[in-house]
Amino acid sequence: MSIFSKKKLGAAGEELALATQLKTGGGATARKEQIVSYWLLVLPGFLIYVAVMAFPTVFSIFLSLSDYKGGKLFGGPNPVKLVGFGYYSKMFHDEYFYLALKNNLYIVLVSVFGQIPLGFFMAYILFRGMVRGRDFFQTMIYLPCVISTVVIGILWKAFFAPTGAFTDLVRIFNPTYEAGLSSHPMIKVLFVILWMYTGTYLIIFLANLQKIDVSVIEAAKIDGASEIQALRYIILPALSGVIVTSAILAISGSLKSFDLIYVMTAGGPANRTSVLSLYMYDKAFRGAPNYPMANAISTVMVIISFLLIGLTKLVERKFGGRE
Amino acid sequence: MSRIKDDNSVGTRIGMAVTYIVLGIFTVLAIYPLIWLLINSFKTTQEFQLNKLGLPGSVEGYEWTFVNYKDAWVRGKFPILILNSVIYTAVTTVVVILFSFMGSFAFAKIRNRATPAIHGSFVIGLLLTLQSIMVPLYLMVNWVGLYNTRLGVLIPYIGIGMPMGIYLGTEYIKSIPDALVESARIDGATYLRIFRSIIAPMAAPVATTLAILTVTGTWNEFMLINILTSTDNIKSLPVGVQKFAGALATDYGKQFAALVIGLIPMLAFYLVFRKEITKGVAAGAVKG
Repeated sequence: MSIFSKKKLGAAGEELALATQLKTGGGATARKEQIVSYWLLVLPGFLIYVAVMAFPTVFSIFLSLSDYKGGKLFGGPNPVKLVGFGYYSKMFHDEYFYLALKNNLYIVLVSVFGQIPLGFFMAYILFRGMVRGRDFFQTMIYLPCVISTVVIGILWKAFFAPTGAFTDLVRIFNPTYEAGLSSHPMIKVLFVILWMYTGTYLIIFLANLQKIDVSVIEAAKIDGASEIQALRYIILPALSGVIVTSAILAISGSLKSFDLIYVMTAGGPANRTSVLSLYMYDKAFRGAPNYPMANAISTVMVIISFLLIGLTKLVERKFGGRE
Repeated sequence: MSRIKDDNSVGTRIGMAVTYIVLGIFTVLAIYPLIWLLINSFKTTQEFQLNKLGLPGSVEGYEWTFVNYKDAWVRGKFPILILNSVIYTAVTTVVVILFSFMGSFAFAKIRNRATPAIHGSFVIGLLLTLQSIMVPLYLMVNWVGLYNTRLGVLIPYIGIGMPMGIYLGTEYIKSIPDALVESARIDGATYLRIFRSIIAPMAAPVATTLAILTVTGTWNEFMLINILTSTDNIKSLPVGVQKFAGALATDYGKQFAALVIGLIPMLAFYLVFRKEITKGVAAGAVKG
C-alpha cells in the first residue's frame, strides 16, 4: 500500500512542478524557493522523528549485539564492543522468556478470537437490530477504552485482591469460596484485557458497517435471503478488509501490552503473568541493568510482530480478498 | 436504519427483547467496575473492609464521606500532576499537528526526489513499537541531560506522534486538488504562504481526528514517562496515580478516590467529544 501511494505521490508532484514551472516561466528563484520551502516544511518533524524513533531503533539492534554495561559509550573505562548474538542465545535458553512469550500468545488469542468476534457481534446487533439508543450503548461499551490503563489496572487489582470485592461476589454464589493463590493467574489478566478493549472493535466495525448500503440488504431479504445469508454473502465480504486490519491491530497491540500488567500484577506471582515487554523492562530497569539483553528481547518482539502480521496478510490473500 | 415497521410478528419482538438483554448485559459489564469504584471512593477504608459491595452507610456507624478525596488530593500532589499532563498533552498535540501537516503538504504538493525515502521512513514508523526504542531513548535522554525534565518528555512524545500525523495528513492533503496550489503559485504565492492560507484552513477536519488520537494517546501514556521521570514535579497523572498502587495499596479509601480523580479528566473529554473520538478511532484503525 505504501509503495503504491508513494508512486502516486511522485507522479502528482512531478506534474505539479512541471505545470508551475511552465506557468511561472521556470524562474531560478521559483525553483530555489521550492527547494528551500520543501526542507523548511519537512525538516522540523523529520529531525525529531529520526532522533526519537528511527535512530533509537537502529541503536537498539546495535546494543543487542554489544556488551554495553552503562556509562559512556566510547572513551569510558569499558569501551563498548560488539560481541555478536551471545545475548540472543542466552535469552533463548532462559525459561522466563518462554513463560512471557506464552502469556503474550494467550493475549494474542484472546484479542483475535475474543475481542474481535465479540466486538463484531455487538456492532452487528447495534447495526441490524431495531434498537433505540444505539448511541448510548456504543458510548457505554467503549468507555473503558478511554480511561488510563494505569487507573484500570489498579482498579482491577483492588477488585481481585484476596480482600477485595471479587471474593465477596463469588461467596454470594459459593459461600465456601476461599481466595488463595490462583492456579491460573493469567485468566484474570486476560479477562480484564477482554473487558477493556472489546469496545475498540465495536467502534471500528460499527463505523464500517454503516458504510454498507442498507438497501442492498433489504433487497436481498425481499428476495427471500435469511439474516444468516445476508451476513454471509453481503456483510462479511464487505468487511473482510476491516477484519484483517483489526486482526493486525489486535496482534501488534497484544505484543505491546505493558501498562496494565505492570500495575495489575507486575508479572507476579513468580513471573507467571509476565509478558515480553515486562521481561524486557525487568532486564533494563530492575536490579543491575542488562541493556544488551533487554534490546535483544525488544528486537525479537519486533520480529515476532512482523512475522504475525505477515502471516495475517497471507491468510487474507488465501481466504479473503473479496472486497 | 433497517427498521421494518410493519413486521410485528412474535419472532421479531422476541428478537428485539434478546437484543436489548444482550446489550444491557454488556453495558452493565462495561460500566459496573467503574460504578463500584465511584461508590467505594465515598467509604472509609474501615467501612470498605466490612462492606465491599453495598452503598456507603449500609453498615451501622458509617456514612458517605469526602475525606478520601481531601486526603488523596493532597498526598497525590494532584494539582501539579494535572498541570503537567495538560502541558504534555497540549504541547505535543499542537506541535505534532503543525509539524506533520507541514511535512504532509511538502510530500503531497511539492516535488522533491527525497520524498519517497523520507515519507517511506515515516510509514515504517507506524509499525515500530515503543519497546524497541525504550532503552535507547532512556540512555540518550540521560546523555543529553534531559532526564527528569519536561523537555525530555515532550521531544519523545512529539517524535512518536509524527508517523500517524504524516500518514493521516498526507492522505488528506493529496485529496486537495492540485489546481488550488497551482493557481496560487501563478499568482505568485510562496509555498509557505500557500500552506498558511490555503492548506491549513482546509485541513481542519483531519486535524480534529489527529488531535483526538494524540490527546488520548499522550494523556494516557505511561510506559515512557515512567522511565524518563523520577520526581512528582515532572510526572504526569497516570504515573502519579500509580503511587497509590504501591506504598498506599492497602489504604483503599484513598486509592479509590485517587483513581476517580485520575479518570475524571479523560471521562469528561470523552463525554464531550465522543462523536469525534469514535470517528478518530475508526480513522486511526485504517493504518496497517
